[in-house]
Amino acid sequence: MTEHYESVTAYPDGSSTVSRYAKTAANYGYDGIVVRTRDADYDAEAIAREYDVDVVSGIEIVAETPDSIAGSVGNFRENCTLLLVRGGTNARNRYAVETDRVDVLTQPMAGDGNFNHVLARAAKIHGVRIEFDFGPVLRQTGGKRVQALRDLRKLRELVEYYETPYVVSASPTTHLWLRAPRELIAVGEQIGFSASQITEGLVEWGRLAERNRERADESFIEPGVTRGKYETE
Amino acid sequence: MKHLPKHIRPRWRYLAVGIESTPDATIDRGAFQRELWYAAGNLLGDPGSADVDLTVYIFQFEDGCGEAIVRVRRGETDRGRAAVACLSEVDGEPVGVVVRGISGTVRACEESYLGRRTGAFEQRQVVFADAQRSAFSREDAVEVSVPAGFVSATELDFE
Repeated sequence: MTEHYESVTAYPDGSSTVSRYAKTAANYGYDGIVVRTRDADYDAEAIAREYDVDVVSGIEIVAETPDSIAGSVGNFRENCTLLLVRGGTNARNRYAVETDRVDVLTQPMAGDGNFNHVLARAAKIHGVRIEFDFGPVLRQTGGKRVQALRDLRKLRELVEYYETPYVVSASPTTHLWLRAPRELIAVGEQIGFSASQITEGLVEWGRLAERNRERADESFIEPGVTRGKYETE
Repeated sequence: MKHLPKHIRPRWRYLAVGIESTPDATIDRGAFQRELWYAAGNLLGDPGSADVDLTVYIFQFEDGCGEAIVRVRRGETDRGRAAVACLSEVDGEPVGVVVRGISGTVRACEESYLGRRTGAFEQRQVVFADAQRSAFSREDAVEVSVPAGFVSATELDFE
C-alpha cells in the first residue's frame, strides 16, 4: 500500500487553511499533507478525525543567506516533523544539501539556483531530499515554463545517476492548485518522468515523516535500537 | 456528409472533470474550452493536442463549483488527463480541476460521476484573523472574504 503525501503552503502564506487542504486532499486520494507554513494555525488531530488525512507539521525556511538559514535550522528543528529549506541560489543549495538536520531542499532550480554532481552526491550522503517542483510546469506558460522544464530535466538526470533521494510536489499555495496523484503522474509522464518516479516522490514525504516521528519518539535510542520493556530509568 | 460506418468511426473516452473556483468566479463553457485547448496546446503541442481532441461536452458551473465532461480519443486518456491537470486559471480566476473518472459513453459518465452538485452558498459572518468578516459557506467549506480576496477554510477553523 503506497501512501501519497503532498506538501502545501497554507494560510497565512497561502490562501487556504490547512483543514481546507486536507478536505481537498482527502477528496483527491491523498493520505496526508505536509504543511510548510510555520505560522499556520491548525489542529492536526481534529483534521485527521474529520477527513482521515494525516497532517505533518513542517517548516520551510526561506532566508537569504546560509548564515541566517543556519540560525533558523537551530531554532526550528525541534518544533517540527519535517524541516525544509528553500533553495534557489547556489549558496543556499550547497548549505542545505550538506546539513544533516535538513530533510528537504525545496525549489533548488528556482531563480539563479543550479545543481550539479557535487550537490547531488552531497545530498545523498547527508540524506537530504531534493524536491522536484511541479508548480511552474502546471501553472506557467511560455519561456518560464520552458526554463522550468529544462531545469527539471537536468535535475532528474543528476538524481537518477547519483541515486539521490527526492520528493515531488505541485507546491500549491491554494487548495485549488492541488492536483490528484494520477494527474501528477500523467503530467510527469509527459515531461519525461516515469510513473513510478512520481509515485516514489509523493510517497517519500510520508516515509520521511514517519521516520522523523519515530526518531522524535521517547523510546528511540538510535536506528534499530529502542527502549524495550526491560529498560528502566 | 454521410456518417462513417461503425467499425471505422473514432472511439472516444469521456473524462468527468470536477471544477472548483472562487465564489465570485463566473466561468462559462467557452472560456473553459478555450483554456483547456490552450493548456493542451502548450503541454502537448499542436499535433498532440489534435490527437487528444479535448472537446467539452457537458459543462455547468455555478457558485464557484461545477463539472464537465471532456471527450478524448481512446488511448489518449493519459495525455488528456495531463492537459486537464495543467489548467490553473480561467479568465484570471484560479481553478481546481480533478478527473473524477473515465467512461466509454457520455451517459455512463454522467450517471457514474456527475450530479454531485451541492447546495448554493449561504452568506454569514465569521470571526477570522481577529476580525468580523463576511463569508460564504456550503456544507463544511467556508470562503472568508478578506481584503486581498478570499481565504478558503472549513468549519473546523471556527470551532
